Amino acid sequence: MNVSPEGALDKNMKVLVVDDFSTMRRIVKNLLRDLGFTNIQEADDGSTALPMLQGGDFDFVVTDWNMPGMQGIDLLKAIRADSSLAHIPVLLITAEAKKEQIVMAAQAGVNGYIVKPFTAGTLKTKLDKIFERLG
Amino acid sequence: MSMAMVGRVSLEQAKSLVEFLETDQQEKADELIAEIQNPINSELFAEIGKLTRQLHDSLTNFQLDSRLSDLATADIPDAKERLNYVITRTEEAANKTMDAVESIFPVVDKISEQVRAVNPSWTKLMNNEIELKEFKTLCVDIDSLLVTTGKETSHIHSLMTDVLMAQDFQDLTGQVIRKVIDLVREVEESLINMLTAFGISAENIRGNSIPKVGENLVEGPIVNAEDRDDVVEDQDDVDDLLSSLGF
Repeated sequence: MNVSPEGALDKNMKVLVVDDFSTMRRIVKNLLRDLGFTNIQEADDGSTALPMLQGGDFDFVVTDWNMPGMQGIDLLKAIRADSSLAHIPVLLITAEAKKEQIVMAAQAGVNGYIVKPFTAGTLKTKLDKIFERLG
Repeated sequence: MSMAMVGRVSLEQAKSLVEFLETDQQEKADELIAEIQNPINSELFAEIGKLTRQLHDSLTNFQLDSRLSDLATADIPDAKERLNYVITRTEEAANKTMDAVESIFPVVDKISEQVRAVNPSWTKLMNNEIELKEFKTLCVDIDSLLVTTGKETSHIHSLMTDVLMAQDFQDLTGQVIRKVIDLVREVEESLINMLTAFGISAENIRGNSIPKVGENLVEGPIVNAEDRDDVVEDQDDVDDLLSSLGF
Protein backbone atom coordinates (compact mmCIF):
# COMPACT_ATOMS: atom_id res chain seq x y z
CA MET A 1 0.00 0.00 0.00
CA ASN A 2 1.28 3.42 -0.96
CA VAL A 3 0.92 5.18 2.35
CA SER A 4 3.34 7.99 3.11
CA PRO A 5 5.29 7.98 6.41
CA GLU A 6 2.83 10.32 8.14
CA GLY A 7 0.05 7.83 7.40
CA ALA A 8 -1.58 10.27 5.00
CA LEU A 9 -3.04 8.99 1.79
CA ASP A 10 -0.79 8.79 -1.24
CA LYS A 11 -2.77 10.72 -3.81
CA ASN A 12 -0.67 9.17 -6.58
CA MET A 13 -2.07 5.73 -5.89
CA LYS A 14 -3.52 4.00 -8.93
CA VAL A 15 -7.30 3.69 -8.69
CA LEU A 16 -9.65 1.62 -10.86
CA VAL A 17 -13.29 2.76 -11.07
CA VAL A 18 -15.65 0.01 -12.28
CA ASP A 19 -19.26 0.79 -13.29
CA ASP A 20 -21.34 -0.02 -16.37
CA PHE A 21 -22.81 3.52 -16.48
CA SER A 22 -20.35 6.06 -17.87
CA THR A 23 -22.10 8.89 -16.01
CA MET A 24 -21.58 7.15 -12.66
CA ARG A 25 -17.89 6.52 -13.50
CA ARG A 26 -17.59 10.20 -14.33
CA ILE A 27 -19.18 11.24 -11.01
CA VAL A 28 -16.90 8.96 -8.99
CA LYS A 29 -13.84 10.12 -10.96
CA ASN A 30 -14.72 13.76 -10.32
CA LEU A 31 -15.21 13.13 -6.60
CA LEU A 32 -11.91 11.24 -6.36
CA ARG A 33 -10.11 14.00 -8.30
CA ASP A 34 -11.62 16.52 -5.90
CA LEU A 35 -10.12 14.50 -3.04
CA GLY A 36 -6.75 14.80 -4.78
CA PHE A 37 -6.47 11.47 -6.61
CA THR A 38 -4.92 11.92 -10.04
CA ASN A 39 -4.17 8.41 -11.28
CA ILE A 40 -7.62 7.02 -12.09
CA GLN A 41 -8.60 4.44 -14.70
CA GLU A 42 -11.99 3.04 -15.69
CA ALA A 43 -13.59 -0.30 -16.56
CA ASP A 44 -17.22 -1.04 -17.44
CA ASP A 45 -17.60 -4.40 -15.68
CA GLY A 46 -15.74 -7.06 -13.70
CA SER A 47 -14.57 -9.02 -16.71
CA THR A 48 -12.89 -5.90 -18.16
CA ALA A 49 -11.55 -4.86 -14.76
CA LEU A 50 -9.91 -8.16 -13.77
CA PRO A 51 -7.32 -8.33 -16.61
CA MET A 52 -6.53 -4.62 -16.03
CA LEU A 53 -5.88 -5.37 -12.36
CA GLN A 54 -3.75 -8.39 -13.22
CA GLY A 55 -1.77 -6.37 -15.76
CA GLY A 56 -1.17 -3.17 -13.79
CA ASP A 57 -0.14 -2.29 -10.26
CA PHE A 58 -3.45 -0.90 -8.98
CA ASP A 59 -3.68 0.21 -5.36
CA PHE A 60 -7.42 0.61 -4.94
CA VAL A 61 -10.68 -0.53 -6.59
CA VAL A 62 -14.05 1.26 -6.46
CA THR A 63 -16.77 -0.90 -8.00
CA ASP A 64 -20.48 -1.07 -8.64
CA TRP A 65 -22.26 -4.37 -7.85
CA ASN A 66 -24.91 -4.84 -10.55
CA MET A 67 -23.19 -4.93 -13.94
CA PRO A 68 -23.66 -7.09 -17.04
CA GLY A 69 -20.90 -9.63 -17.53
CA MET A 70 -19.05 -9.97 -14.24
CA GLN A 71 -20.76 -8.43 -11.22
CA GLY A 72 -18.88 -6.38 -8.62
CA ILE A 73 -19.29 -9.03 -5.91
CA ASP A 74 -17.74 -11.63 -8.22
CA LEU A 75 -14.91 -9.21 -9.06
CA LEU A 76 -14.31 -8.81 -5.31
CA LYS A 77 -14.21 -12.60 -4.85
CA ALA A 78 -11.84 -12.95 -7.83
CA ILE A 79 -9.53 -10.28 -6.37
CA ARG A 80 -9.46 -11.99 -2.97
CA ALA A 81 -8.82 -15.38 -4.63
CA ASP A 82 -5.80 -14.11 -6.61
CA SER A 83 -2.74 -13.96 -4.35
CA SER A 84 -1.19 -11.13 -6.40
CA LEU A 85 -4.34 -8.98 -6.03
CA ALA A 86 -5.74 -10.11 -2.68
CA HIS A 87 -4.19 -7.15 -0.80
CA ILE A 88 -5.99 -4.48 -2.88
CA PRO A 89 -8.70 -2.66 -0.91
CA VAL A 90 -12.13 -2.75 -2.59
CA LEU A 91 -14.93 -0.25 -2.04
CA LEU A 92 -18.43 -1.14 -3.29
CA ILE A 93 -20.68 1.74 -4.37
CA THR A 94 -24.03 0.20 -5.23
CA ALA A 95 -27.81 0.50 -5.25
CA GLU A 96 -28.02 -3.10 -3.97
CA ALA A 97 -29.43 -2.71 -0.47
CA LYS A 98 -30.47 -6.13 0.82
CA LYS A 99 -29.08 -6.91 4.25
CA GLU A 100 -28.18 -10.36 2.96
CA GLN A 101 -26.09 -8.79 0.21
CA ILE A 102 -24.22 -6.52 2.60
CA VAL A 103 -23.41 -9.56 4.73
CA MET A 104 -22.35 -11.39 1.55
CA ALA A 105 -19.98 -8.53 0.63
CA ALA A 106 -18.54 -8.40 4.15
CA GLN A 107 -17.89 -12.13 4.08
CA ALA A 108 -16.24 -11.80 0.66
CA GLY A 109 -13.79 -9.31 2.20
CA VAL A 110 -15.05 -5.90 1.07
CA ASN A 111 -13.30 -2.88 2.65
CA GLY A 112 -16.23 -0.47 2.42
CA TYR A 113 -19.87 -0.44 1.31
CA ILE A 114 -21.59 2.71 0.08
CA VAL A 115 -25.24 2.55 -0.88
CA LYS A 116 -26.51 4.74 -3.74
CA PRO A 117 -27.62 7.50 -3.77
CA PHE A 118 -24.56 8.74 -1.87
CA THR A 119 -22.81 12.04 -1.13
CA ALA A 120 -19.27 13.34 -1.60
CA GLY A 121 -18.99 13.46 2.20
CA THR A 122 -19.81 9.76 2.54
CA LEU A 123 -17.18 8.84 -0.05
CA LYS A 124 -14.52 10.87 1.78
CA THR A 125 -15.42 9.38 5.18
CA LYS A 126 -15.28 5.82 3.85
CA LEU A 127 -11.98 6.39 2.02
CA ASP A 128 -10.40 7.86 5.14
CA LYS A 129 -11.64 4.91 7.20
CA ILE A 130 -10.37 2.31 4.71
CA PHE A 131 -6.87 3.75 4.51
CA GLU A 132 -6.67 4.55 8.22
CA ARG A 133 -7.26 0.84 8.91
CA LEU A 134 -4.74 -0.28 6.32
CA GLY A 135 -2.18 2.38 7.30
CA MET B 1 -83.29 -42.53 -17.21
CA SER B 2 -86.93 -41.89 -17.83
CA MET B 3 -88.24 -45.47 -17.59
CA ALA B 4 -88.44 -47.39 -14.40
CA MET B 5 -86.13 -50.38 -14.71
CA VAL B 6 -85.95 -53.63 -12.91
CA GLY B 7 -82.75 -54.97 -14.47
CA ARG B 8 -79.71 -53.25 -15.95
CA VAL B 9 -81.23 -52.87 -19.39
CA SER B 10 -84.74 -51.96 -20.54
CA LEU B 11 -86.64 -53.56 -23.41
CA GLU B 12 -86.72 -50.17 -25.13
CA GLN B 13 -82.95 -49.88 -24.97
CA ALA B 14 -82.49 -53.40 -26.29
CA LYS B 15 -84.80 -52.67 -29.22
CA SER B 16 -82.90 -49.46 -30.07
CA LEU B 17 -79.63 -51.35 -29.89
CA VAL B 18 -80.86 -53.98 -32.34
CA GLU B 19 -82.17 -51.25 -34.61
CA PHE B 20 -78.81 -49.38 -34.58
CA LEU B 21 -76.94 -52.58 -35.40
CA GLU B 22 -79.34 -53.54 -38.16
CA THR B 23 -79.11 -50.11 -39.78
CA ASP B 24 -75.31 -50.19 -39.53
CA GLN B 25 -75.06 -47.35 -36.98
CA GLN B 26 -72.18 -48.83 -35.01
CA GLU B 27 -71.23 -45.54 -33.30
CA LYS B 28 -74.72 -44.98 -31.92
CA ALA B 29 -74.87 -48.57 -30.77
CA ASP B 30 -71.56 -48.15 -28.90
CA GLU B 31 -72.83 -44.94 -27.31
CA LEU B 32 -75.96 -46.73 -26.15
CA ILE B 33 -73.95 -49.57 -24.64
CA ALA B 34 -71.80 -47.01 -22.81
CA GLU B 35 -74.92 -45.28 -21.55
CA ILE B 36 -76.39 -48.57 -20.35
CA GLN B 37 -73.14 -49.38 -18.54
CA ASN B 38 -72.87 -45.99 -16.85
CA PRO B 39 -75.90 -43.69 -16.98
CA ILE B 40 -73.93 -40.74 -15.50
CA ASN B 41 -71.74 -40.50 -18.61
CA SER B 42 -74.43 -38.81 -20.66
CA GLU B 43 -74.75 -35.98 -18.11
CA LEU B 44 -70.99 -35.68 -17.96
CA PHE B 45 -70.79 -35.47 -21.75
CA ALA B 46 -73.43 -32.75 -21.72
CA GLU B 47 -71.46 -30.81 -19.11
CA ILE B 48 -68.19 -31.17 -21.01
CA GLY B 49 -70.00 -30.07 -24.15
CA LYS B 50 -71.26 -26.95 -22.39
CA LEU B 51 -67.80 -26.10 -21.03
CA THR B 52 -66.23 -26.62 -24.44
CA ARG B 53 -68.70 -24.19 -25.97
CA GLN B 54 -67.98 -21.63 -23.26
CA LEU B 55 -64.24 -21.99 -23.75
CA HIS B 56 -64.70 -21.64 -27.49
CA ASP B 57 -66.78 -18.47 -26.99
CA SER B 58 -64.25 -17.03 -24.56
CA LEU B 59 -61.40 -17.66 -26.98
CA THR B 60 -63.38 -16.10 -29.83
CA ASN B 61 -64.21 -13.04 -27.75
CA PHE B 62 -60.60 -12.86 -26.63
CA GLN B 63 -59.44 -12.72 -30.26
CA LEU B 64 -62.09 -10.11 -30.99
CA ASP B 65 -60.74 -7.80 -28.27
CA SER B 66 -58.55 -5.84 -30.66
CA ARG B 67 -57.33 -3.53 -27.89
CA LEU B 68 -55.23 -6.35 -26.49
CA SER B 69 -53.59 -7.03 -29.82
CA ASP B 70 -52.98 -3.29 -30.30
CA LEU B 71 -51.35 -3.21 -26.89
CA ALA B 72 -49.02 -6.06 -27.81
CA THR B 73 -48.14 -4.98 -31.34
CA ALA B 74 -48.14 -1.19 -31.13
CA ASP B 75 -48.34 0.28 -27.65
CA ILE B 76 -45.73 -1.87 -25.94
CA PRO B 77 -43.04 -1.42 -28.65
CA ASP B 78 -43.87 2.30 -28.51
CA ALA B 79 -43.41 2.26 -24.73
CA LYS B 80 -39.98 0.65 -25.15
CA GLU B 81 -39.00 3.48 -27.47
CA ARG B 82 -40.28 6.02 -24.96
CA LEU B 83 -38.27 4.47 -22.15
CA ASN B 84 -35.16 4.42 -24.34
CA TYR B 85 -35.77 8.11 -24.94
CA VAL B 86 -35.76 8.61 -21.15
CA ILE B 87 -32.39 6.86 -20.87
CA THR B 88 -30.94 8.96 -23.68
CA ARG B 89 -32.25 12.26 -22.34
CA THR B 90 -31.17 11.64 -18.74
CA GLU B 91 -27.73 10.54 -19.89
CA GLU B 92 -27.41 13.65 -22.07
CA ALA B 93 -28.49 15.85 -19.18
CA ALA B 94 -26.01 14.20 -16.79
CA ASN B 95 -23.18 14.65 -19.30
CA LYS B 96 -24.10 18.27 -20.13
CA THR B 97 -24.17 19.09 -16.42
CA MET B 98 -20.85 17.36 -15.80
CA ASP B 99 -19.28 19.07 -18.84
CA ALA B 100 -20.19 22.43 -17.32
CA VAL B 101 -19.12 21.48 -13.78
CA GLU B 102 -15.82 20.04 -15.01
CA SER B 103 -15.08 23.33 -16.81
CA ILE B 104 -15.98 25.34 -13.70
CA PHE B 105 -13.66 23.37 -11.32
CA PRO B 106 -10.33 24.57 -12.83
CA VAL B 107 -11.59 28.17 -13.14
CA VAL B 108 -12.57 28.29 -9.48
CA ASP B 109 -9.27 26.63 -8.55
CA LYS B 110 -7.37 29.28 -10.55
CA ILE B 111 -9.14 32.16 -8.81
CA SER B 112 -8.70 30.63 -5.38
CA GLU B 113 -4.99 30.08 -6.09
CA GLN B 114 -4.52 33.73 -7.08
CA VAL B 115 -6.36 34.86 -3.94
CA ARG B 116 -4.09 32.64 -1.86
CA ALA B 117 -1.04 34.11 -3.59
CA VAL B 118 -1.92 37.76 -2.82
CA ASN B 119 -3.12 37.04 0.71
CA PRO B 120 0.20 37.38 2.65
CA SER B 121 1.08 40.72 1.04
CA TRP B 122 -2.49 41.92 1.46
CA THR B 123 -2.41 41.11 5.18
CA LYS B 124 0.83 43.08 5.47
CA LEU B 125 -0.81 46.03 3.68
CA MET B 126 -3.78 45.95 6.04
CA ASN B 127 -1.40 45.95 9.02
CA ASN B 128 0.66 48.82 7.55
CA GLU B 129 3.70 46.56 7.35
CA ILE B 130 4.20 46.43 3.61
CA GLU B 131 7.28 47.78 1.84
CA LEU B 132 7.09 49.77 -1.34
CA LYS B 133 8.60 47.05 -3.55
CA GLU B 134 6.21 44.39 -2.25
CA PHE B 135 3.33 46.87 -2.53
CA LYS B 136 4.06 47.35 -6.23
CA THR B 137 4.10 43.58 -6.80
CA LEU B 138 0.86 43.30 -4.83
CA CYS B 139 -0.77 45.92 -7.06
CA VAL B 140 0.22 43.97 -10.18
CA ASP B 141 -1.06 40.70 -8.62
CA ILE B 142 -4.36 42.25 -7.58
CA ASP B 143 -4.76 43.79 -11.01
CA SER B 144 -4.35 40.36 -12.58
CA LEU B 145 -6.72 38.84 -10.01
CA LEU B 146 -9.38 41.42 -10.88
CA VAL B 147 -8.97 40.77 -14.60
CA THR B 148 -9.18 36.99 -14.12
CA THR B 149 -12.14 37.19 -11.77
CA GLY B 150 -14.05 39.58 -14.03
CA LYS B 151 -13.51 37.42 -17.07
CA GLU B 152 -14.03 34.05 -15.42
CA THR B 153 -17.13 34.94 -13.42
CA SER B 154 -19.00 35.72 -16.62
CA HIS B 155 -17.66 32.42 -18.03
CA ILE B 156 -18.92 30.61 -14.90
CA HIS B 157 -22.25 32.38 -15.20
CA SER B 158 -22.77 31.08 -18.71
CA LEU B 159 -21.72 27.54 -17.69
CA MET B 160 -24.21 27.67 -14.82
CA THR B 161 -26.94 28.62 -17.28
CA ASP B 162 -25.99 25.45 -19.20
CA VAL B 163 -26.43 23.45 -15.98
CA LEU B 164 -29.79 25.09 -15.44
CA MET B 165 -30.97 24.34 -18.99
CA ALA B 166 -29.81 20.72 -18.79
CA GLN B 167 -32.49 20.16 -16.12
CA ASP B 168 -35.27 20.43 -18.74
CA PHE B 169 -35.03 16.63 -19.07
CA GLN B 170 -37.13 16.34 -15.90
CA ASP B 171 -40.22 17.83 -17.57
CA LEU B 172 -39.82 15.89 -20.84
CA THR B 173 -38.99 12.51 -19.31
CA GLY B 174 -41.68 13.02 -16.66
CA GLN B 175 -44.34 13.34 -19.38
CA VAL B 176 -43.03 10.29 -21.23
CA ILE B 177 -42.89 8.15 -18.09
CA ARG B 178 -46.42 9.17 -17.11
CA LYS B 179 -47.67 7.86 -20.47
CA VAL B 180 -45.86 4.57 -19.94
CA ILE B 181 -47.40 4.27 -16.48
CA ASP B 182 -50.87 4.70 -18.06
CA LEU B 183 -50.05 1.95 -20.53
CA VAL B 184 -48.84 -0.39 -17.79
CA ARG B 185 -52.09 0.25 -15.92
CA GLU B 186 -54.12 -0.59 -19.05
CA VAL B 187 -52.17 -3.80 -19.68
CA GLU B 188 -52.66 -4.76 -16.03
CA GLU B 189 -56.43 -4.27 -16.32
CA SER B 190 -56.62 -6.26 -19.56
CA LEU B 191 -54.66 -9.13 -18.04
CA ILE B 192 -56.83 -9.14 -14.93
CA ASN B 193 -59.99 -9.18 -17.09
CA MET B 194 -58.61 -12.10 -19.03
CA LEU B 195 -57.76 -14.02 -15.86
CA THR B 196 -61.23 -13.30 -14.48
CA ALA B 197 -62.79 -14.59 -17.73
CA PHE B 198 -60.92 -17.84 -17.21
CA GLY B 199 -62.10 -18.05 -13.63
CA ILE B 200 -58.80 -17.21 -11.91
CA SER B 201 -59.08 -14.76 -9.05
CA ALA B 202 -56.85 -11.73 -9.50
CA GLU B 203 -56.64 -11.25 -5.74
CA ASN B 204 -54.74 -14.53 -5.31
CA ILE B 205 -52.24 -13.49 -7.92
CA ARG B 206 -51.73 -9.99 -6.54
CA GLY B 207 -50.88 -11.41 -3.15
CA ASN B 208 -47.73 -13.19 -4.38
CA SER B 209 -45.77 -10.18 -5.67
CA ILE B 210 -42.27 -11.06 -4.53
CA PRO B 211 -39.73 -8.95 -6.44
CA LYS B 212 -37.70 -10.80 -9.03
CA VAL B 213 -34.02 -11.00 -8.20
CA GLY B 214 -31.07 -12.03 -10.33
CA GLU B 215 -27.79 -13.75 -9.59
CA ASN B 216 -26.35 -12.74 -6.19
CA LEU B 217 -29.84 -11.38 -5.28
CA VAL B 218 -29.36 -8.30 -7.50
CA GLU B 219 -32.50 -6.22 -7.69
CA GLY B 220 -31.34 -2.66 -8.42
CA PRO B 221 -32.55 0.42 -6.54
CA ILE B 222 -35.17 -0.35 -3.87
CA VAL B 223 -38.15 1.94 -4.37
CA ASN B 224 -40.18 0.87 -1.33
CA ALA B 225 -37.50 0.44 1.34
CA GLU B 226 -39.81 1.65 4.13
CA ASP B 227 -42.27 -1.20 3.41
CA ARG B 228 -39.62 -3.91 3.54
CA ASP B 229 -37.56 -5.36 6.32
CA ASP B 230 -35.01 -7.24 4.20
CA VAL B 231 -33.31 -4.06 2.96
CA VAL B 232 -31.40 -1.12 4.46
CA GLU B 233 -32.89 2.35 4.11
CA ASP B 234 -29.73 4.48 4.10
CA GLN B 235 -25.98 4.60 4.67
CA ASP B 236 -26.45 4.68 8.47
CA ASP B 237 -28.26 1.32 8.27
CA VAL B 238 -25.37 -0.07 6.19
CA ASP B 239 -22.80 1.19 8.70
CA ASP B 240 -24.79 -0.22 11.65
CA LEU B 241 -25.10 -3.62 9.98
CA LEU B 242 -21.40 -3.72 9.11
CA SER B 243 -20.35 -2.70 12.62
CA SER B 244 -22.61 -5.41 14.07
CA LEU B 245 -20.56 -7.82 11.94
CA GLY B 246 -17.37 -6.50 13.54
CA PHE B 247 -16.41 -4.10 10.76
